[in-house]
Amino acid sequence: MTPDNPTSEKHYLRLRHNVQHRLSLVPILGWLLGALLAVILEQLAGDYLVDALDMDKMPSLLGILAIAKDIKYFLWQGWDQLVIIGKMFAGGAFSGVVSVPDPFQTPRVLLYVFLVYFLPIALFGTLTIRPANWMADKLSKLPSAVSVIGYLILLYLVMHIWADMSAYRGMALRFTLIAVMLTLSLNVINGYMGEFSCSHPGFMALGAYGASVVTVVLFANDKLFGAALLPKFLAPAFFPLALVVGGAVASFGALLIAVPSFRTRGDYLAIISLAFLFIVKSLIENLEIVGGPRGLKGQPDLASLPVVFTWAVLCIWTINNFVRSTLGKALNAVRDDEVAANAMTVNTRRTKMTAFLFGAFWAGVAGGLFAHVLRYVNPATFGLQKLAEVLAMVYFGGLNSVYGSIVGAVSISLLSEALRPFELFKWVIIPLLLILVMIYRPTGLIAFREFDVRSVLKPKQNPESEV
Amino acid sequence: MALLEVHHMSHDFGGLRAVNNYSLNIEPGEIHGLIGPNGAGKTTIFNLITGIYRPTEGDIRLDNASIVGLQPYQIAARGLGRTFQNLQLWRHMTVLEHVMMARYSKLTYGLVGAFFGTPKRKREESESREKAQVLMELFGVDRFANQIVLNLPYGAQRRVEMARAMAMEPKILFLDEPTAGMNPEELIQMMEIIRRAHRKFGVGIFLIEHRMRFVMELCQEIQTLVFGEVIAEGTPEEIQNNPKVIEAYLGSEMVE
Amino acid sequence: MTLNLQNLLDFQNIIDALQWGSFYALIALGYSMVYSILMLFNFAHGDIFMVGAYIGFGIASLLVGLTVAGSLALPGWVILILTLLGAMCLTSIVGMAVERIGYRPLRDAPRASAAITGLMIGIILEQGNLILLGAKRRSFPEIIESQTFSIGGVDITNIKIMIVGVSLAFMLALHLFIKKNKWGMAMRAMAFDYLVVPLMGVSINAIARMTFAIGSALAAVAGIFFGMAYPVLEPTMGIVYGWKAFVAAILGGRGSIMGACFAGFLIGFIEIFVPLVFPSTLRDLIAYSIILLILVYRPHGFFGEPYSAKLRL
Repeated sequence: MTPDNPTSEKHYLRLRHNVQHRLSLVPILGWLLGALLAVILEQLAGDYLVDALDMDKMPSLLGILAIAKDIKYFLWQGWDQLVIIGKMFAGGAFSGVVSVPDPFQTPRVLLYVFLVYFLPIALFGTLTIRPANWMADKLSKLPSAVSVIGYLILLYLVMHIWADMSAYRGMALRFTLIAVMLTLSLNVINGYMGEFSCSHPGFMALGAYGASVVTVVLFANDKLFGAALLPKFLAPAFFPLALVVGGAVASFGALLIAVPSFRTRGDYLAIISLAFLFIVKSLIENLEIVGGPRGLKGQPDLASLPVVFTWAVLCIWTINNFVRSTLGKALNAVRDDEVAANAMTVNTRRTKMTAFLFGAFWAGVAGGLFAHVLRYVNPATFGLQKLAEVLAMVYFGGLNSVYGSIVGAVSISLLSEALRPFELFKWVIIPLLLILVMIYRPTGLIAFREFDVRSVLKPKQNPESEV
Repeated sequence: MALLEVHHMSHDFGGLRAVNNYSLNIEPGEIHGLIGPNGAGKTTIFNLITGIYRPTEGDIRLDNASIVGLQPYQIAARGLGRTFQNLQLWRHMTVLEHVMMARYSKLTYGLVGAFFGTPKRKREESESREKAQVLMELFGVDRFANQIVLNLPYGAQRRVEMARAMAMEPKILFLDEPTAGMNPEELIQMMEIIRRAHRKFGVGIFLIEHRMRFVMELCQEIQTLVFGEVIAEGTPEEIQNNPKVIEAYLGSEMVE
Repeated sequence: MTLNLQNLLDFQNIIDALQWGSFYALIALGYSMVYSILMLFNFAHGDIFMVGAYIGFGIASLLVGLTVAGSLALPGWVILILTLLGAMCLTSIVGMAVERIGYRPLRDAPRASAAITGLMIGIILEQGNLILLGAKRRSFPEIIESQTFSIGGVDITNIKIMIVGVSLAFMLALHLFIKKNKWGMAMRAMAFDYLVVPLMGVSINAIARMTFAIGSALAAVAGIFFGMAYPVLEPTMGIVYGWKAFVAAILGGRGSIMGACFAGFLIGFIEIFVPLVFPSTLRDLIAYSIILLILVYRPHGFFGEPYSAKLRL
């Protein structure tokens, strides 16, 4: 509190407290409905606003790309100025003039995001505290499956309307969901089980190729595999099967690693799995039947947003179920003290095998979805770069935490989109960030947190009490 | 019929005989003590019976079935619970999770239940939670139920280990120096807790201990182990007056 | 594909294998030394090798350029020695910086976190190189004129002999250092027991720093030799060759100096001889499969101690 102006300071503090208090009363339902309102608003009025603000186009991912471009412009210009000043010291003439990028997007983008997203969501959320909590309370009294499905439909609607506005959004959203699946499945192994597996891109590759082969053989006229065996309209029905085949292939690969690795503790799995990653990549490069190093293309367009969303939800749901059961918590026991776990009736070997194969299965499914979103796979995708990316997501978000994996995957995906204008610097900035996280929070941002759906969705306020 | 029988068990560590011709009989509900100087092979005997090592010779029978060659978790599931000399708790898990984990072998919902959260899983987990709650109350750690076990005071950590071992519903409980590192007050508490567990569940107990007073007060039968061999066996009085034991302990623990 | 048995026995190939083995062994030593004292892999080491090669490239280009321009008149071997010394010094500074930034703050953190940090530092080094010098491949200047000897119908260049010889000399020097020198003994003590070192009046930090410095200097030697033998440098070389050397370090037995050298040469032989028998596209596949098989049957590598610590989490 500053002595010269105590009252305004006090007002400010009280205001801040009030705002925080009100925000804390908004249930998830309120935020979701607010988001729905925002995306509907954007769909209806976004184009007008873009025209009114004289913008190039609608900001894709909350405008981060446009802002990043402007930042890059300033940074690069700053660098130029430094060079010019350096030249001045060396006797050159001053010639630089500080300029603003044209068109200067940032203020408009910020205004747009404020008007379209921030304002509607915040207003709707805070103004509907009572009815939203009342509804959340009613929903929480339903069987949890019904209410959760209701929430998911709402969430999907928001995503659908939002992603519908540009193809880029649809792609980015689907890749983010796939990244969440990958991160979570790796967290089962590296976080919950506490081993260090490097083979996740390998499992992903196995899943991608496994699923692709099924769909391409059955539904595509391909020069490698011949004419389609089944009519196209059956494809969506067979796609889950293809994905499960992909996951099963990945699990089988995992079994090959697991059998020798789990006899010994320590870094052994890290090394075996790394060798496995190289072997898988090299194997695919040498398999001409699936296109060798040129890759495999012609996957039918099956991985639409609802499909990817459904699988991502399934993945989060089963993994979260697993890690919260005693069978899944046995992983933590094995990680923290294997001898004690064994002495407390835990079948440690089966526990580790199960988790490893389960993680690999979901990596395989994620790989299958990845191949069908891109509609092309190439062995070069599944190398060390991918490994670094997934590891970054897991360790950034936080070990042993479903929350953490979702946060890690979404934030690194967003960041990696935002940093695209910086080209090569992207893979300097993300590692630097991760190093900082590791130094200050060695287990990641949100580690060791349990994800309890019911407590997330529950009303934040007793409906009878005063607002 | 004894609950646990060990017949002429021997174990070599690379040519060195760590345990020689060791035999043991524990009846249901009996408290049996194993004493001896450091390095006598007491913990090795524990590890042999609980399946961490496999004996070179001899037979171990639990409930009249041989358990030699079984994995530790299988032996544990047949009713052999244990605690460890240096606390072996799971550092990232809560007290409740510890106690529930020991009921692992009692769960039948399988992977389907684990992945999809079937009603059966819900039922079994909540039953397991109720039993864990009872045990935590019995051992006085229920107020820490949702705390990470590492944040507990030392004595409470010891009690968590006891509660965890009892959650397996063992027929016989192995306690490896249950009072190691405890102050006199905690020691008396521990003795009370062991008695309580013994009374309430009628479980047989086999314990390794250094503190003579503790062993003498608790045990009905005591063996003295020196260099992997039993030199004396009998009731506390017999052991206390046995010249061989006094010799082995002269100037060390006997003074206590 | 015709299998030519003559090829397998060709002395030329053996020399090539020894030469590649020297690179792998020199790099693997760095991994192994760091592992033995800190119990973790320095995943940035492959990229330190790359940095060493580029530093050597810079120094050599400068000296060769000056000589050609006539400002200096240095014979080839002097340039080589200056390049080696300069690159070793500068690269060990890079190595010490990596230790200071990436590893020291994480000494008590879970080992997996330190591994991630190392991996990220490696990526930064590689990308940094791309930003500074571009993706263009650089060809290493010719420091020593290549001369070909013919011994019994086999052609051997002086460069290959020099590379193998000097590499072996470095390995021997390292071995002697660790066995005889006070600091080397402190290193061994630390490998044996982490906690005893401060009791001996030696600081863990000093030893860690020294280990990184020596490992990086050896990686720089490997980088320069690699540049001389295969005169193309590119930013991805750290990943491509570094990982193979990493595998050699594992295969030799974690923390074992002898093992790292031995396995380095073994990988050199696998790399050269596998393509003689199988199509060369299968090289990685077969090499890694052999390695995997060896590890399945010898989980601790050739000279490693059985080791059962787990990732501290």
